[in-house]
Amino acid sequence: MLFPLESTLKADAKTVAASGEYDIVIVGSGISGAIIAKQAAEAGKRVLMLEAGTGANITLAGYDDLLTTFYSAVSKDNQSPFPLNANAAMPRSPQLRKLQAGETDSSTYIVQSGPYVSDTTYTRIFGGTTMHWEAKTPRMLRSDFKTRSIFGQGLDWPLSFEEIEEDYRLAEQEIGVSANVEDQQYLGQTFPGDYVFPMRGLPLSYLDQQVNKGIEGTSVELCGKTYPLKVRPYPQGRNSIPNPAYDGGKGYRPIGAVDTHQVEEGGRCQGNTNCVPLCPVQARYHSGKTLAKAFAVNAKAGERLVELLSQAVASKVNIDPDNGKVRSLEVKVYKDPASPAHEAITVRGKVFVFAAGAIETARLMLASGLRSTSGLVGRNLMDHAYLLNWALMPQICGTMRGTSSTGGIVDLRDGPFRERQAAFAIDIHNDGWGWATGAPTSDLLELVDDRNLHGADLRRGVVDRVSRQLLLAFMLEVMPDESNRITVDPQYTDALGNMRPILSFTVPEYTMKGAAYGRRFARTVFARLGAQDHTHYDPGDFGYVAYEGQGYAIRGGNHLAGTHIMGTTRTNSVVDKNQRSWDHENLYLVGGGSMPTIGTANVTLTLAAMCFRSSRDILKYLH
Amino acid sequence: MSSRFEAFLGISVELTAFSRFDLLGTGLAERYLATLDKVVGGEITDTLLAAFVALPPAEGEARIQAVRTTILGNELLGDVARALIKLWYSGTWFELPCAWTERFGPRPADTTFIVSPDAYVEGLLWKAIGAHPAGAKAPGFGSWAFPPKIPALPELVSKA
Amino acid sequence: MYSYSIRTLDELKEFLHRAMQLEHATIPPYLTALYSIKPGVNQDATQVLRVIVVEEMLHLTIAANILNAIGGTPDLTRPDFAASYPASLPDGETDFKVSIQAFSREALATFLKIERPAQRPKHLAGKGLIQRKTPANTTALGSHPRHEDLHFYSIGEFYSAIAEGIEYLEAEAYRQGTTIFTGDRSRQITPEYYYSGGGTLFPVTDWKSALEAIALIIEQGEGDGGDIYDNDEHELAHYYRFEELVKGRYYQKGDQPGHPTGPQLQVDWEGAYPIKPNLKVAEIPEGSELREAATAFNARYGEFLQLLTRAYNGQPSLLLEAVPIMFEFRNTILELIRNPLPNHPGMNGSPTYEIPGSTKQAAPTRQSEVIA
Repeated sequence: MLFPLESTLKADAKTVAASGEYDIVIVGSGISGAIIAKQAAEAGKRVLMLEAGTGANITLAGYDDLLTTFYSAVSKDNQSPFPLNANAAMPRSPQLRKLQAGETDSSTYIVQSGPYVSDTTYTRIFGGTTMHWEAKTPRMLRSDFKTRSIFGQGLDWPLSFEEIEEDYRLAEQEIGVSANVEDQQYLGQTFPGDYVFPMRGLPLSYLDQQVNKGIEGTSVELCGKTYPLKVRPYPQGRNSIPNPAYDGGKGYRPIGAVDTHQVEEGGRCQGNTNCVPLCPVQARYHSGKTLAKAFAVNAKAGERLVELLSQAVASKVNIDPDNGKVRSLEVKVYKDPASPAHEAITVRGKVFVFAAGAIETARLMLASGLRSTSGLVGRNLMDHAYLLNWALMPQICGTMRGTSSTGGIVDLRDGPFRERQAAFAIDIHNDGWGWATGAPTSDLLELVDDRNLHGADLRRGVVDRVSRQLLLAFMLEVMPDESNRITVDPQYTDALGNMRPILSFTVPEYTMKGAAYGRRFARTVFARLGAQDHTHYDPGDFGYVAYEGQGYAIRGGNHLAGTHIMGTTRTNSVVDKNQRSWDHENLYLVGGGSMPTIGTANVTLTLAAMCFRSSRDILKYLH
Repeated sequence: MSSRFEAFLGISVELTAFSRFDLLGTGLAERYLATLDKVVGGEITDTLLAAFVALPPAEGEARIQAVRTTILGNELLGDVARALIKLWYSGTWFELPCAWTERFGPRPADTTFIVSPDAYVEGLLWKAIGAHPAGAKAPGFGSWAFPPKIPALPELVSKA
Repeated sequence: MYSYSIRTLDELKEFLHRAMQLEHATIPPYLTALYSIKPGVNQDATQVLRVIVVEEMLHLTIAANILNAIGGTPDLTRPDFAASYPASLPDGETDFKVSIQAFSREALATFLKIERPAQRPKHLAGKGLIQRKTPANTTALGSHPRHEDLHFYSIGEFYSAIAEGIEYLEAEAYRQGTTIFTGDRSRQITPEYYYSGGGTLFPVTDWKSALEAIALIIEQGEGDGGDIYDNDEHELAHYYRFEELVKGRYYQKGDQPGHPTGPQLQVDWEGAYPIKPNLKVAEIPEGSELREAATAFNARYGEFLQLLTRAYNGQPSLLLEAVPIMFEFRNTILELIRNPLPNHPGMNGSPTYEIPGSTKQAAPTRQSEVIA
């Protein structure tokens, strides 16, 4: 896919400031902003997109530089491809430490005010967090939209599954989801008669197949109900084999790598096992693919409709006191990531869209003193809690091959047990214990330094140790809780003088109950597989949570949500069901922050679907 | 090829159980020798290579035992040899243990670092397990559905 | 109608076989040049070569589709299929040699010749084929089955002969109430098995799709009648992509041939491993690991051609199994190219592409520098 060459030229801050009123000003170039920019441009609207990152990765050469940074990084954490940039800092998990009771740690970009320390991340770079996402794209279940009514937990959405179903299909088209309908019809999920996904499902990894062989046909009982066990493939936002039956037989044309000149990359997934933090060949979707289409739209006069201003950090929202509308946005445009020198400009638009992710969008609102009538801006912060369980399979499973995760155990995503404990979806990690232990590097160090292996013994040793690794990552439901929140405080600012987010979080008991069950569930699965359980939670771990006499290391899922929650009135929510701010009629706060609950689905597909809905509402508003 | 480089390849084959073809196939052998020279210095590198050259021409367990006693168990050379193994397997030079530094003196270049981006890509660990480094040398669509092809151990008798 | 025009269906099938051979024969030189590039340099050249290798695979498959459409049986294991390098290709009045060699100015000069758009000059218009100048024992790509001593003016002319042959034979068949497109539709390789940034695969079922398929091959190679972009996808033709590397600048929309005005690009002509051109296994000392690896590669390449043959003969899904083999070749070729060639100081090894069972392999030339 081709980016028009002009789109990569640095837009000039002065020109942007002087160019009068845009139809839409969008903050953030992640998937939410990209979808709205594209939909708006196709309807002939003039769009300014602000991106805090440098925008260097818009070209293939810039993208490949991220890959080189990743190769050169000693710590291969999920932000390692993205260079440090104090002007648009982002959370990085290796910097975290455990907090003492009552302690606040402001040494990292997100100020951790505890008691739980979250290693959640998001990526402040062109393409947003879709530059490092794993790209699993399950839909939320019908019941996930009304957990309050059905289970007495969480909140009901102001939208039903039926109302969002068509937008799910648009999101699946935009992302280019690879999945087979027959694999996704579990737990009552249905698809219209002739629906097929844009591309065929990716094959399960050999590791998935070995796990399935051990558990298929067995079941577990929970709260009087039986759940069959089986490894099912995940729908994935990466290129597979296009389905010729898609779109009534028209087929689907996958989108490869994007650049300003034609390149041959990003075809079918090649199995780099590196979806997170960076697909080296752009076979995995990132929002640059949507933006390439947005940038390609020309107005009648021939000029491009979407402008991108990089190195532009939104700093303050100005409200017209007469009507509550957003009048303008103050933006700090820096010249060089290595220096805080910047110029401040003011941009104007008819509509403003904040699509900076659940934490940054809330941070911008709070830093502008906009807590909303409901007072809920920044509250109800959610992220999936992950509980990792790891073991050695009895047989060689060829771990470390495939996409990051191709399959998992997902039959406990729903059930009456959700009245008392969190549901979960389990990913089988094709990269073995990496997330839990730093494998395989940690294994190498142990085998060489501690077990004194060399030569043939070492070669056999690494096979024995790494190729049998199995990691079950339990993605646990987390319900909204007003005390879990993002706040700001003038004493904590970044290089540009913008207030940094402060995170206060307690893992809810509902989730911990699910975690405790998850641990038992993992032990059952390992027993059925004959796998050696190596799981160990260190009390010194930054994410260590004690619950009912046991301890668990809980990890963040980077599925941030809830901070500008969607609801039915201006008193129970920040935005309406079109993600429009109740208080400011020309302001849309979009993305995961609008989600009232997150169920056991990775949030991107759902928030992408919501942005198609919002696009229609914005266009209606502009007419 | 200089005899020094020959000795370096020889000890590398001995320690990693990868063949000379495999090691040269990474394109990194010269740079790894240069890394040793840079980090621990030419003198210790020469001592390590001399210890290898002096190994008795035994085979099997006797050979392994000799490597253990004269190289891996040598107070000066053991940690350096282990760092060399890790370098070949991962492309990363891992900082020597404190005990070594305290005894033999700190070396300014002795920090944990990746020799070069391609050093990560050519790590032998991945080859040993029939996989590929995360983010590089992809095996192709769908290959992950099949059992891994774990390469057989080479015959390590040096070939002309 | 020329003396070299295609008159029979069997002749057309043989031409299509030779088209497959020609398309395949460009892959080893491109692949070798691609993988000879040292890590960290020549990213633009890497991208260009990658595009072209992938599209040559597409062309090979398209040629197989046309052959299948007229009831032929593609066979990449035929003893005369795999070229011996250097192989000769037509380039105007002379023919030239295509070699297995490292990425270099010379390699690029050859690649430009492979893809060069060529029109016969006035004094040759309407004249017949051109006398070969390369020795008879070299593989002559794009040659005429009835006139092995002659060559076409260009690859474009070779394909034009095929297109005209299809039109002629189909018109003949039509007059008799039949068609030459009698092939089993299920043997066609369909787009789900191949897609990329440029060009798509489509089934060939009739006269129209067959001519479209030939047009795609020509346009992706040399452009659309003087236009640097092909007409379908607005995709830059191979010739001009190579020219970008020579000129150090990208083309953009609206550019005239020979005058790219897009962003500059960097080429490091020294940024490739020094491999010995057209290396043969016999030149590598017996018993060496390099020789063992080169031989193993050739055997594996032979298996790859067998797999492709099965894929093109009614089992299209086998193409998916061929993909990991291509990736495996990348790893092996890199290793061969980084290993020094014994007895050739300063020179490295290379894949030799001497496919077992292939008869087109020229006898190794024993030169004085070879010390076996």
